[in-house]
Amino acid sequence: MEPARAASGARSSEQARPAISALGISKRFPGTVALENVDLIVARGEVHGLVGKNGAGKSTLLKILSGAQPPDSGRIVVGNQSFAALTPITARRAGIAAVYQNPELHLDLSVAENIFLGAEPRTRLGLVDDAEMARRTSELLGRLGLSLPPEARLGDLDIALRQQVAIAKAVRERASVLLLDEPTSALNKAQADFLFRLIRDLAEGGMAIVYISHHLDEVLAISDRVTVLRNGRCVGVVASGDVDKDDLIAMMVGQTVGETAARRAPHPPGAPLMALDGVTVPGRLDHVALTIAKGEILGLTGLTGAGARVLAEILAGIRTPSSGSLLLEGEAFRPRSIHAAIAQGVVLVPQDMRGRGLVMPMPVAQNLTMARLKAIAPRHWLNLAAERERAEALVGQLDIQPRDTTREAGLLSGGNQRKTLLGRGIFAGARLLVLEDPTEGVDVDARRQIHAYLRSLADGGTSVVFVSTDLEELIDLADRILVLRNGRIDRELAPSGLTPERLLAAIQSDHERRHAQETEGTSDV
Amino acid sequence: MSEAIAEKPAARRRSWDIGRYTLLITLVAIVVVTAIGNPRFFTINNLFNILLQISVLGILAAGQTMLIVSAGLDLSVGAALSVAGVVAALTIVSTGSIALGIAAGLATGALIGFVNGLLVATNRATPFIVTLGTMTLLQGAAIVISGGSPINGMGALFDVFGLGDLFGVPNPVYALAATLVVVFFVLRRTVLGRSAFAIGGNEEAARLSGIPVRSRKIGLYTLNGLIVGVGAVVLTGILDSALPNMGNGYELRTIAAVVIGGTPLFGGRGTVVGTFGGVLLLGLVSNSMNLLGVGANYQNVVLGLIITAAVLLQKRG
Repeated sequence: MEPARAASGARSSEQARPAISALGISKRFPGTVALENVDLIVARGEVHGLVGKNGAGKSTLLKILSGAQPPDSGRIVVGNQSFAALTPITARRAGIAAVYQNPELHLDLSVAENIFLGAEPRTRLGLVDDAEMARRTSELLGRLGLSLPPEARLGDLDIALRQQVAIAKAVRERASVLLLDEPTSALNKAQADFLFRLIRDLAEGGMAIVYISHHLDEVLAISDRVTVLRNGRCVGVVASGDVDKDDLIAMMVGQTVGETAARRAPHPPGAPLMALDGVTVPGRLDHVALTIAKGEILGLTGLTGAGARVLAEILAGIRTPSSGSLLLEGEAFRPRSIHAAIAQGVVLVPQDMRGRGLVMPMPVAQNLTMARLKAIAPRHWLNLAAERERAEALVGQLDIQPRDTTREAGLLSGGNQRKTLLGRGIFAGARLLVLEDPTEGVDVDARRQIHAYLRSLADGGTSVVFVSTDLEELIDLADRILVLRNGRIDRELAPSGLTPERLLAAIQSDHERRHAQETEGTSDV
Repeated sequence: MSEAIAEKPAARRRSWDIGRYTLLITLVAIVVVTAIGNPRFFTINNLFNILLQISVLGILAAGQTMLIVSAGLDLSVGAALSVAGVVAALTIVSTGSIALGIAAGLATGALIGFVNGLLVATNRATPFIVTLGTMTLLQGAAIVISGGSPINGMGALFDVFGLGDLFGVPNPVYALAATLVVVFFVLRRTVLGRSAFAIGGNEEAARLSGIPVRSRKIGLYTLNGLIVGVGAVVLTGILDSALPNMGNGYELRTIAAVVIGGTPLFGGRGTVVGTFGGVLLLGLVSNSMNLLGVGANYQNVVLGLIITAAVLLQKRG
């Protein structure tokens, strides 16, 4: 795929006023600065890439541009209107449309109804004019080169087609700015190529497009210019033709300030705890073989959809592979329920704290004990004194603040909520702890504490597997890093001496690169 | 409630306290106003009378509290009460055995609860819809089983619950107290109760923590059904008769009492003590309006206002 960058010449000559400029945007969250004085300027007809590591501020900036969050300071100028902050409604009125990985559409409505939602053509009687709506939808889809039946129910379409509907809706709303967030993460190659052609067409029609992605090759191929964020700051705006992927990676990662973390001593490989062979989930995982030693800390990573998260769910016993075997200390690990997995000492610590993790209205103590109530309730009768005592011990060990086990979990800060969730896994007596993004959204101190605690658990013989896309976390915490790609373990890396640049390059490595470096790739251990 | 001692962020706690004290303040206000308006209010007889009047509602509301804590709901409690009462009465009439009658009533209630639990736990449909269905079904079943007319002559059951008392306290009040105590301990001290809070607060987190969500839900609905059976036996005894429509309306009044008692409908929180307060409030309001000579239609207006106010005052998530 080689999209022409023909638009760039025309662009530089004519555009006096950019389609959208966000100027001096700052945004702080308790404990962290998400954005610091960031500028993003996109001309009409330009495709503008926005890249950065996890936590660099991309999604915060996107939320500010789409009106989901107000900035603390800065201005957003769209066309000839200037805003101190947008709301979802003012953003739409100003001509900004956002299309997310999983577009926010109504699955029970048809394609046409989604596109015209809130602006349905009416008959003289004030009723929705279905015929007119279908006609205008067909015309619009035809103009965009999309072959979608207007009457199809959206829920029956795949993600790629839903995205097309979302984009068509933006065109119908006469959006002048289109924000695309990781649009290709769930698409196959053909679907992605189609999307790129559509994006180029829209840009040639004068739309300004902000393209956010972790897939740097795609960003370079599709955009005219790229803005790079690092730690909430803008570190550069470059023309795509002037840089290659390694330049972008260097900008995203910055200078690595001398390795600070006290990595634990090289770990003599213990006896195997869990062994996987031929583990397959159609379309997600492809014959994965893997052994996890006792006391080992294993980091899993990869681009979105590469399979790291699915693999973690399988290890945790909350998802069953369609084929392949899992052995836990030599015995088949096929838990019939999550209860059974936990009873065998395999515990998941999920990333989505609000949705899957904590029971927010329950006190900390009850959140800590809930994965193994049996320990405090022989014969189903709870020993509240024992519960409080053991919860207080855990709160002390994990330094959960405040030291109050009766506090509702929902009232704790993010870092303390993560610690509480980790504490639940420990209380459950995990031999294998599977964590998703163990320190996401956590401040530096809490992160250091969580890492130290996980290391001490591993020193005590617990095996720890974590999924993360945080490069520093992977290098600091893991004894071994597995990079997944297309459902396979693509590389195995040792963290000692590994730089964030090289790790990011390994995660990013595309097919072409993989062919070129096949020999190096496999011997990288 | 040791919670009051520990330091709390004032802003977050306050709304909860307002909600809690509102109930208490309202109760006191009603007592004062009625006592001034009608001295008969403060007689022992009238107080026991109130407790007797609220006993069946209180029994059902205690069970409903467990379900609402788990983010469940049972709209069929009234209709189930009718069916269980009718079955108990028919058993007594045909066998002459009170014990068999009580057993039949309790078993019927528990069975209905079990089926509700099974349907709720294994379907995507919300408890509201599932139990709306069973409610309609059971309303019909009560008429079919009873032949459409009251079943009279409960004999000794009437002696126990209709006339009997112990130390001057009417026996149904003991049944109410026992049910409240059982539910209190179930919620506070058992794995089933803890699971109710966990499921109501975050069902997915409960599932991922290895709590067997389905069987716990079935357990909760079955226990609630058993409690409905208790209510059915008590009401049949009080009335000396089982009427096929005697439970109609209880479903909404139990929910109202639970909500007035501070248990949010979205689950994860709640106390049976609060529910008892809610039941007491409803009972006191009816009683004092009777004593003050307020007409039945105006009574409904007032009750409606109280329920609405309780919902508006409720703490959010």
